[in-house]
Amino acid sequence: MTGGLGPVRSGPAVAIASLYKPDLVTRHTGRAVRLSIESLLAEYEGHLLTVLDFRDVTVIDFSCADEVVAKLVLASLPEARPPRDRFFLFRGIGDHHLDPVQSALDRRRLTVAAERDNGERTLIGHVERHAARVWEAVCSAGRAPVRAVAAEIRLPEPAARAVLEDLYGRRLLIRVADEYVSLFQALAEAGAAGPRP
Amino acid sequence: MSRVIEVPETLDERGFEVLVAAVNDATRDGARPRVLFDARRVKWVSPYGLIGLLSVGQVARDRTGLAAGIEAPENSDVRGYSERMNFWQAASEVFDLPSIPGRPHAPSDALLEITPIRSHNDVHSVVERVRERAAVILESRLHYPKPAVIQFSVMLSEVCQNILEHAEATGWVCAQTYYWKRRLGREVVVLAVMDVGIGFKGSLGTEHARRLGEAWTAAKALEAAFLQGESRFRDPGRGQGLQAIRKQVARWNGAIRIRSGNAMIAGVPAWDDCPAMQSRLPEFPGAQVLIVMPERSSEARR
Repeated sequence: MTGGLGPVRSGPAVAIASLYKPDLVTRHTGRAVRLSIESLLAEYEGHLLTVLDFRDVTVIDFSCADEVVAKLVLASLPEARPPRDRFFLFRGIGDHHLDPVQSALDRRRLTVAAERDNGERTLIGHVERHAARVWEAVCSAGRAPVRAVAAEIRLPEPAARAVLEDLYGRRLLIRVADEYVSLFQALAEAGAAGPRP
Repeated sequence: MSRVIEVPETLDERGFEVLVAAVNDATRDGARPRVLFDARRVKWVSPYGLIGLLSVGQVARDRTGLAAGIEAPENSDVRGYSERMNFWQAASEVFDLPSIPGRPHAPSDALLEITPIRSHNDVHSVVERVRERAAVILESRLHYPKPAVIQFSVMLSEVCQNILEHAEATGWVCAQTYYWKRRLGREVVVLAVMDVGIGFKGSLGTEHARRLGEAWTAAKALEAAFLQGESRFRDPGRGQGLQAIRKQVARWNGAIRIRSGNAMIAGVPAWDDCPAMQSRLPEFPGAQVLIVMPERSSEARR
């Protein structure tokens, strides 16, 4: 685990989490990896954006994906106990990761923001079409107030605000003052988007 | 009292059913004979048959309290194959085997020799060991696309974990490539995984048996796990492994059969004639899984 670069423009601290093993197989292994990551994240207080880097993961099975991916994301939601201001961004997701990760998230109706190994930015898991449109609009802008997002996707402001708040609640966007910030933007502003350590 | 059970000449899925019926018969009404499996006349054996023989041996041992004896096959091909597949090493932990038959042999060409699954470390070790061979066999010989090697590892991991998570027992796994001349006219990878644990009915029973009473059967348990993705755990993240395997095998135009208790459920491709569900088979503990992945046809490769 590396990172912890401190808050940027009132954004979150950033941590890059290693997944430790090229073969993420078995629920037992997944539990161990998740607990290691959670214990390291416990050192951070306040807003924290954690990048889970899949580039060195050769294989991940469905059970392990549930233990690592789904349960980490689940624990970041506002309804988790204790509640935490945690955001996750997945990086380096290849085709061979997609099925298990997608399935693990889908079954729990969870979603994560991800950067595929070809650079494509996408949502993985349970995604509604209108939520994806709003999320993409914020990602394109990097950061944007409700008004700008509403204008961009031609939605009344209250409707746009409701979707943005929902995306914030699902930890897919960060809210800083009156703006919504994409996780990619927060990462770039924290200076952690360059070559991996 | 002793009882000799003759192992069928062809020891495959059908041969396994013959053995199951014979072991049930030998141990009927609590009988506890010393069982001897006479495999001398076996002329052909599949991976499913090999670990099936270990499974019936283990069940005979569990029911009688005595390790069964076994007479090794006389056919040199079968003997050589069982040696290369590490059958006798696994058999020494099941049968009363004064010495391990066979001799040192060259490395096997099997995709995966018989491997006991006792812990999560065994699953890791299987996934690591199979990767290189799977790449050669699936890509070069069966013409599967590159990602199939990883998908095969995932499938192997999930099906082996099923033993640890749900069977409450140890089990065995092995895989081999064949040319299926009569049935398919193509090469296939055959993966067999077995345990003699509590089976699907027992695993899912805590949740369902109370509600369904006598209507809770092995067939219903297999349907719940295989088709609906249900698990013994209430956690919604559980139960996806088996469903994922079913879907993946179907995408490869493969066949999958899961036998548990007195039932068998199958994912049946057009080339197979196995019934989708059988429910009056001889009772047998645990779960027995057979997966067949056929060589990709030239149309599928385009």
